[in-house]
Amino acid sequence: MLSQFEHLRRETDGRYASDAELEFAIDYVRSFNLRVQTYLKLQEIEAALVQQTYLQMRALNPAWFVHGNTDVSAKWKRDTIRVLRYVAVAVLTHDPDTFRERMLLWFQTIMRAFGAQQSCSMTYQVLQDIIRQHLTAPQAELVCPLLEMSRRAFGAAS
Amino acid sequence: MTTVKVLDTQHPGKRRHPKKHNHYGFRDFFHFDPEQGTIVDWNESYNVLTTEDFIIGLVEGLEEEVGEASAATMYTIGCEWGQKDAFFFEKWFETEFERNIRQTNLMFLLETWWWPFTAQGWGRWEVDMGDRQQGFMFINIFDSAVARTLGDVGKPVCFLYAGLFAGFFTELVKKQLSCIEIQCYSMGETYCKFLLGGQDRIDAAAFWFKEGATARDIEKRLRAGEVLR
Repeated sequence: MLSQFEHLRRETDGRYASDAELEFAIDYVRSFNLRVQTYLKLQEIEAALVQQTYLQMRALNPAWFVHGNTDVSAKWKRDTIRVLRYVAVAVLTHDPDTFRERMLLWFQTIMRAFGAQQSCSMTYQVLQDIIRQHLTAPQAELVCPLLEMSRRAFGAAS
Repeated sequence: MTTVKVLDTQHPGKRRHPKKHNHYGFRDFFHFDPEQGTIVDWNESYNVLTTEDFIIGLVEGLEEEVGEASAATMYTIGCEWGQKDAFFFEKWFETEFERNIRQTNLMFLLETWWWPFTAQGWGRWEVDMGDRQQGFMFINIFDSAVARTLGDVGKPVCFLYAGLFAGFFTELVKKQLSCIEIQCYSMGETYCKFLLGGQDRIDAAAFWFKEGATARDIEKRLRAGEVLR
């Protein structure tokens, strides 16, 4: 949304925007209540979402939480929470571009550096499944595309 | 009486979130101070915005001044920059992550080193350490600022980058390393490729390159253990 407003400001310099150019803002206003509800819901159930994802991931492959001799469960939880919070803001502001620029591109390189692509791919798949159980369908439709974007970015081989 | 104003150079975003690591978005990384007329980045370096004309002026001006030696000059500038940056990096990395660079996952360390360069517009990179045990490695640069500016001129142009990698990695591994660009966007390729290693390997690659070998040929010959006799 903020990126789109920035784009609009540049494109319409010195003139009024057309109806078509303003459509995104009208869509945003229409979706605003749903976005706030979704944001608040994510905040409320964050701990449960992460814990359920963790247990499911652990059941699938406990080796994902061991790096060398170190248990990286706490690190995994911190990382997942961080992504989830950026996703929540992107839902609220309808701004996937800023999410990509401020979080996704950086985190992608860090996950690759640790060779965590497989675990990431599964994390953001499982998280989507769990979110669909907790959120209404329209709420999940706002969140899951961003998690899928994350899954593809972090899970890609290179 | 003279008043001395102490400038506060610390990035306000960093002051608020000193432990934030994903600070490479344009508005996060740079702090524009209109009063001071400065652009300070997250690591408290001063930045100057330049146009492509500046890069053209730098490259062509140097060529006019020193002719063919301009490539070596750019490389040497890059080396010194890389060596200095290695010390600078070590300092900010250890402050930000509270960990010694020698006790850190190497790929993570390298990605962290390059991120400020990405944010500053030097391009994204990819490090291929598959041949590290053999004493060489490759670095790919996508969207080199120099090559993108100069366009297809039919020869490599990223000597500054080659020097930067040589200087930085020499300091990092405490062993003299050299670097050569064996494929460049300015040769019509889609990205730039650098070979980093000991002088003997770089000399061999430079010789093969002059003889018309492609980056792929050079990779194959190095992996086959070929050297210059």
